Amino acid sequence: MKERYKNRIELLQGTLDFMILQALRWGPQHGYGISTVIRTNSHEAFQVPTGSLYPALHRLERKGWIASSWDTPKDKNREFKFYRLTAAGKKQLATEESKWKQLVTAIGRMMRPAEES
Amino acid sequence: MSDQRENREKELDRELRDHLELDAEAKMDRGLGADEARYAAQREFGNTTLVKEVTREMWGWSYLERFLQNVRYGLRLIGRNPGFTAVAILTLALGIGANTAIFSVVNTIFLKPLPFPESERMFLVARTNNQIGGTNISMPIYLAWKEKQGLFDALGMARPGGTTILTGRGDAEQIPAYVLSSEVLSVLRVSPALGRGFQPDEAKVGGPRAILISDGLWRRKFSADPNIIGQTIMLSGTPRIVEGVMAPGFEIPIPVGREAQIWFLAQLPSTSQDPSNFTFCIGRLSHGVTTGQAEAVLTTPIAGLHDLFPKMIAADERVHLTTLRTFTTKRAGTAPLLLLGAAGFVLLIACANVANLFLSRATSRQREIAVRTAMGAKRSQIVWQLLTESLLLGLAGGLAGLLVCYLSFDFVLSLVPANLARFGAIKFDGRVLVFSLFLGVMTGVLSGLAPALQASSVDLQTALKEGKAGSWFGRKRGRLSAALVVSEVGLSLVLLVGAALMLQTLAGLLRTKPGFDSRNLLTFAIELPRSAAFNTKEKAIAFYDNFDAKLSALPGVQQVSYTSVLPLDLQAPDTLLSVEGNNKFDGKTFDAGFRFISPEYFHAFHIPLARGREITAADSADSEPVVLISQTMARRIWGDGDPIGQHIWFGKPMGLASMEPVPRRVIGIMSDVIETSLEQTETNSTMYIPYAQTHGPADEVTFMVRTSQEPSGLTPTVREILRSLAPDVPLRAPKTMDELVADSLDGHRFPTILISVFGAIALLIAAVGVYGVISYSVAQRTHEIGIRVALGASRGKILRMVLSRGLRLAVIGAVIGLIASHWLADLLRDQLYGISPSDPATLIGATIVLLAVAFAACWIPARRATRVDPLVALRYE
Repeated sequence: MKERYKNRIELLQGTLDFMILQALRWGPQHGYGISTVIRTNSHEAFQVPTGSLYPALHRLERKGWIASSWDTPKDKNREFKFYRLTAAGKKQLATEESKWKQLVTAIGRMMRPAEES
Repeated sequence: MSDQRENREKELDRELRDHLELDAEAKMDRGLGADEARYAAQREFGNTTLVKEVTREMWGWSYLERFLQNVRYGLRLIGRNPGFTAVAILTLALGIGANTAIFSVVNTIFLKPLPFPESERMFLVARTNNQIGGTNISMPIYLAWKEKQGLFDALGMARPGGTTILTGRGDAEQIPAYVLSSEVLSVLRVSPALGRGFQPDEAKVGGPRAILISDGLWRRKFSADPNIIGQTIMLSGTPRIVEGVMAPGFEIPIPVGREAQIWFLAQLPSTSQDPSNFTFCIGRLSHGVTTGQAEAVLTTPIAGLHDLFPKMIAADERVHLTTLRTFTTKRAGTAPLLLLGAAGFVLLIACANVANLFLSRATSRQREIAVRTAMGAKRSQIVWQLLTESLLLGLAGGLAGLLVCYLSFDFVLSLVPANLARFGAIKFDGRVLVFSLFLGVMTGVLSGLAPALQASSVDLQTALKEGKAGSWFGRKRGRLSAALVVSEVGLSLVLLVGAALMLQTLAGLLRTKPGFDSRNLLTFAIELPRSAAFNTKEKAIAFYDNFDAKLSALPGVQQVSYTSVLPLDLQAPDTLLSVEGNNKFDGKTFDAGFRFISPEYFHAFHIPLARGREITAADSADSEPVVLISQTMARRIWGDGDPIGQHIWFGKPMGLASMEPVPRRVIGIMSDVIETSLEQTETNSTMYIPYAQTHGPADEVTFMVRTSQEPSGLTPTVREILRSLAPDVPLRAPKTMDELVADSLDGHRFPTILISVFGAIALLIAAVGVYGVISYSVAQRTHEIGIRVALGASRGKILRMVLSRGLRLAVIGAVIGLIASHWLADLLRDQLYGISPSDPATLIGATIVLLAVAFAACWIPARRATRVDPLVALRYE
């Protein structure tokens, strides 16, 4: 019972992780930028609460999937904390992506079993 | 570490502020006013503190961080309970301090190697068949051993050289000396800090007489003059060349005569007939040679020597090698180890007490622990957390103990008897520091582990449901804490019994009637230089008599006398004598000491004459040789017969060269006096010979001055008179006879005082323990007591109920303690005189004291129990 509950949490956590990694695939981004990317890319479907975003960022950094550094963007005159994908993060993103595709397909099949040929 | 964390904290802060700012900017871009944009951004952002906190949690904890968190948490808790903390640290400080102090003594005596290179190869080479203790050898033996090649890198002889008088450098001064052969420095592998050391021709008979001096003497008498090397100084009227200054603290590692400040180089003859056994032989065993081989080879010359000196060397004598370390350690006896054991007991009691404190505190924290367990804390985490707290307390206790040790150090050092062999001063060193911190950690674990394990094995359901400090582990806790108190009481009783036995021994020795009156007697020694003024026995005695007369004329002085040796200091070797006309002792070694005395000796000491007559001024060098004997000697030789008028012939069994020309007539019998130490159980055979008739040298005597009042104030006057008579004669060791009697008990005072202090500490800690447990149980049972009072129980009944619970624990502890004492007291046997280790009165007395203290400790909480107001008690629950 407890095991299954844990799986669900992991799934949710994984979702946010996946979205963050996705958002970083186009280049380094600061926290606010990541939340904007997620929101616009999902057509405003996902509004990531900061209370989840920053813990997730720090967790991913600890896992070694993303790295951070203080950089000055072109249009600003001071440093912001930028996150970028690491090699391990890119690999992780690839596996997550295929997992997601499988999941989406599986869910799609469940939703429309009639279309199964 | 904390810097890193601080940085992270700052970065997080900035990162979140940036987020807000960027969001606000974006909103302003979309047309909102500045304030409005900021509010909106903040609204969307939510609670910053909360965000920070959840983010921070992602950072995770390394083991170190978790440990430090435990430490922080522990420190907070410790700080929050100052009373608890103070009692726990104080208890541990006493226990650890006692142990550290004793350890520093034991460390120096037993653990540290002697301060010489490869000191484990340094051996004392001794004969085994030797009445004086198996250590001393004679010169012929040493010379014979020296010829055996290949066993030792170096084989040297050394003997305490008494004292010598340094003149020509300020006041004449008597300085303790040592005589050694040049090989000794090779054995020890030391060379002088200054100077070239002994030269080859100086070691030969007839060569220049060379000496080494101590660093202290060099600074004190020669103002640290580096040009002293090669200079000639006058010692007892003889010129000596200073060949070196030894490093500070240098001493020959033989526990006899270690205070030496001058080392004479012995000029060894090629052969010797001298049979006297005054020499220690020390050697540095060569690599690859075993002690067994050396012993075998060195035993062979003994047989030949037996033929030469049949009286002095037995045919079956063996040779034995002891490492110098063992030799010096053996002299230290078992007292320091016994004390370490006693201190260990104190520490155990302290641990039990602190464990009990932890237990009672864990009870009041049970809800906290239960909540944390429910929140998912693992049991190991909780145990670690609790252990960290006890470790912190243990460490604090260790540091406080170090402080206790440091503060009491001078006191402990002042008790350590001078004759305890300790090479290198006893001091605080790294090892002592490590020891006390190690004890701190150990006590932390020891006192924290059981309570931590027990507290963490929480039954969540009941703990959370009941919520109040209740019964969920009350029973188990009660049993554990009762067991702890019982063992505290038991251990304390063992210490009390030990202390009581030792104290009675000391008191008994102090009560011992030594057979002389030690009150109001000033004693001091003088040694004459070998100058023209004192070069004969007659001149020396005339000088003493003159000095004696001057002192006798002083106001308040009743008698003055001088002697070769004082009572309690008589360590004369066996005297060979024959009792004329008595075949029983004819030609045999008779074990009797002797001393030379001036006529007033017995009056000054108040020693009564049993029979016959005393020595008078008429007994001169020209009159008939006479002797006085002690009652014991009279009884041993003549039994019921009458010794008066009988004759004793000194040295006759040794042959013509050593015997006195005529026998001495026994003229009187003196009452027995304790001659060697207050511990002796048998009285001595002692002979008294008038100084005027001495057959030995008379260049050193001890004076005693009987006064009508406390005599120590007389010393400057005495010194003044001596200076006016002979400026180059030093006065040494002025002490009252009372002081000398007290000094002779130093060896007892050291363990006795310390073990008594330990006993008192143990009693105090145990009393606190009993008090704590009973107080706690009263607090726990307030409800029950309230009901009892409400149902009509009298105050007396409540009082008895509480007292009986406390006393039951104390009695169980006492019984266990008595059994343990019975086993352990035997270890004390060596330290006890005139009392049996299982002396019933002592056991009963100590038990009564212990129970009385336990009773007092229970009385306070018992009184509190009687004042329980049933209404309050019932409502409170």
